[in-house]
Amino acid sequence: MRKFISIVSFLVATSAAMAQGAHDFKINEVYVYGCAGRCHEAQADSGAVAPEKEEHCKKPASYVDEYGQQASWIEIENTSYSTHDIRNCFLTINPAVLDKNMSAPEREKLMSVIPAGDPRTSIAAKQRITFFADGHTNRGTLHLNFKLPVGEPFTIYLFDGNAVDLLDSVRVEAIPVGSSFARIAGDEWQVLEADKVTPNAPNVAYHNDKIKEFKEKDPHGIAMTLMCMGVVFSCLILLFVFFHIFGWIMNRMAKLARVRAIRAIHEQAERVVEMAKQGTTETRGIEMENYAAVIGLALHEYFGGTHDLESGILTIQQTSTTWADKSHELRVTPQIHPAN
Amino acid sequence: MLLESVSTMDFIGSKLADFLTYTGFANVEWANVIMIAVGAFFIWLAIKKDFEPLLLIPIGLGIILGNIPFKAAGLEIGLYEDNSVLNIFYQGVRLGWYPPLVFLGIGAMTDFGALIANPKLMLIGAAAQFGIFGAYMIALAMGFEPNQAAGIAIIGGADGPTAIFLSSKLSPNLMGAIAVCAYSYMALVPVIQPGVMKLLTTKAQRQIKMKPARQVSQTEKMLFPIVGLLITTFIVPSGLPLLGMLFFGNLLKESTKTTRLAKTAGSALNDIVVMLLGLTVGCSTQASEFLTLATVKIFALGAFAFIIATASGVIFVHIMNIFLPKGQKLNPLIGNAGVSAVPMAARISQNEGLKADPHNFLLMHAMGPNVAGVIGSAVAAGVLLGFLS
Repeated sequence: MRKFISIVSFLVATSAAMAQGAHDFKINEVYVYGCAGRCHEAQADSGAVAPEKEEHCKKPASYVDEYGQQASWIEIENTSYSTHDIRNCFLTINPAVLDKNMSAPEREKLMSVIPAGDPRTSIAAKQRITFFADGHTNRGTLHLNFKLPVGEPFTIYLFDGNAVDLLDSVRVEAIPVGSSFARIAGDEWQVLEADKVTPNAPNVAYHNDKIKEFKEKDPHGIAMTLMCMGVVFSCLILLFVFFHIFGWIMNRMAKLARVRAIRAIHEQAERVVEMAKQGTTETRGIEMENYAAVIGLALHEYFGGTHDLESGILTIQQTSTTWADKSHELRVTPQIHPAN
Repeated sequence: MLLESVSTMDFIGSKLADFLTYTGFANVEWANVIMIAVGAFFIWLAIKKDFEPLLLIPIGLGIILGNIPFKAAGLEIGLYEDNSVLNIFYQGVRLGWYPPLVFLGIGAMTDFGALIANPKLMLIGAAAQFGIFGAYMIALAMGFEPNQAAGIAIIGGADGPTAIFLSSKLSPNLMGAIAVCAYSYMALVPVIQPGVMKLLTTKAQRQIKMKPARQVSQTEKMLFPIVGLLITTFIVPSGLPLLGMLFFGNLLKESTKTTRLAKTAGSALNDIVVMLLGLTVGCSTQASEFLTLATVKIFALGAFAFIIATASGVIFVHIMNIFLPKGQKLNPLIGNAGVSAVPMAARISQNEGLKADPHNFLLMHAMGPNVAGVIGSAVAAGVLLGFLS
């Protein structure tokens, strides 16, 4: 029972450290589709521009949804190095959800849930998913129940599946039409011009600058050799130091244990001698030999025969002996000496 | 009736002609024949010369298997064709999960007692890693990119699984050549190392008798994998897959409570992985991919790397002997064992030691730097991965 309780407590204590996944989602890029000027209101109402106003409305070409429609979009990146599913998380631009007194069900009503059951919500490591903020959730998983305001600042909130934990939020100021607001590195954001908008793609092209840097600054590999050999030596020197000290301690402990054991044997032997003197045991003949043999064996064990664990391996240890000396070998058939 | 039989014969004829286009004879090229001969040579070396048969037989047969010519008709049979059986086996190499499993087996089989008993031998294992970085510098001079040079240079660690692991991450296009080169030279350790060892030592140095190592307690053996794991992986987390599995395997062995697991990891599991690894590495040497100038360069660099590693280990022992008191000098013949070809390199030390003095047994002394070499090469691979990936 005690074991069970300790295991359960350990699991509970470490569960926080083990819980990973949803926290790795970050809002990566936001694009507001629309045009500045007279056609805002019409667009806001219907999502489309009235034909009579279309000639005044110059909207840049943008990323289209499954229906070929253009709309504002929010790109979310899985910043981790493993696949995670964003299903059941929530997106919203309604700041009311920040009210801490609001219950989770009330908060859920104000947000757009990312539905489960669509394999596209499973995002591979360092990959992205783009949601269309067009207010048409009936169009599929990738469509949200709200639109992004054109020409006005707003904040996007990404909530975990419990509708309580805020995973990420970003404040988007009024950005030029056709541009996007993109995360460049860490918490650094930048407005990308219309021709540099990157839906479903990295905001900054990835290059392995490390290789380039080594090629430029260490063309002969000397720096690499020095650094790597330094690290290899550091690791093994640390191990050496640890086991050198630990070995010394273990040796000392073994010696102390042996001294203690010998002392105990001596005490026992003295007691036996005392008993013998008192005449309670026979001090001659076979009984005395038995006592001597027992004490001798005990001393032998503690002087050289003790093991903390038997290896179970038989080895041949070389000792200097003349048993195999060539001079002792019989090379000639023994013959009777003529003198005999 | 006659017409029918004529059309049937035509049908059979056309089908047979079509079948012939699928046979190896119709698709064979000289490069395939050369590679098949190389595979057969490896098998001959393994069987007749006893050069690492556990490695060379799977690799040799793999080379033959990978170079059987066939028509590219989407039959899903070749190593480089998606969903083929060989391709599925090859994922273990490509994604790098065979090497850590091999390291698990190595850990479960290795007794670090010799190293714990005489911890200064760890430094020889570190020094021998200079073979890796010597080869790295030469590879850069030969025009390889830093990541390719690192993948090639790791051959100098004399550690097949580490070479595969690192090259799969840094230079996947060269992985086949690197793996075959690493395993080939590991098998040729008895040919490469003795000459270098003799060249760098005098007879008197080869006859140095080392003091017997002290008895190591089980507590120390149990502690070694835990402390080793903590120290090495805290410094080089990128070596986690290899070092983690190595020390895990060793803990299974030394804990004395998981003997069954240690036995499986060191025998059945290790054997299965070695078979698949050897076979698929051999298969990956398809002539079109393998017979290139880059492969020739890699083999030349591999030889340099082994020679440098051996020499640096032996020279480092000479340097250590300058500082060690009389009576505690090390036999420089154990320096070659700093490479991680376990236990082949240690066996070379033993054999060369016996040649110099039939009563000088160096095997257990050489096992110290040998297992330190395993740790050292895994750390070196981790550092290279950290710097270049």
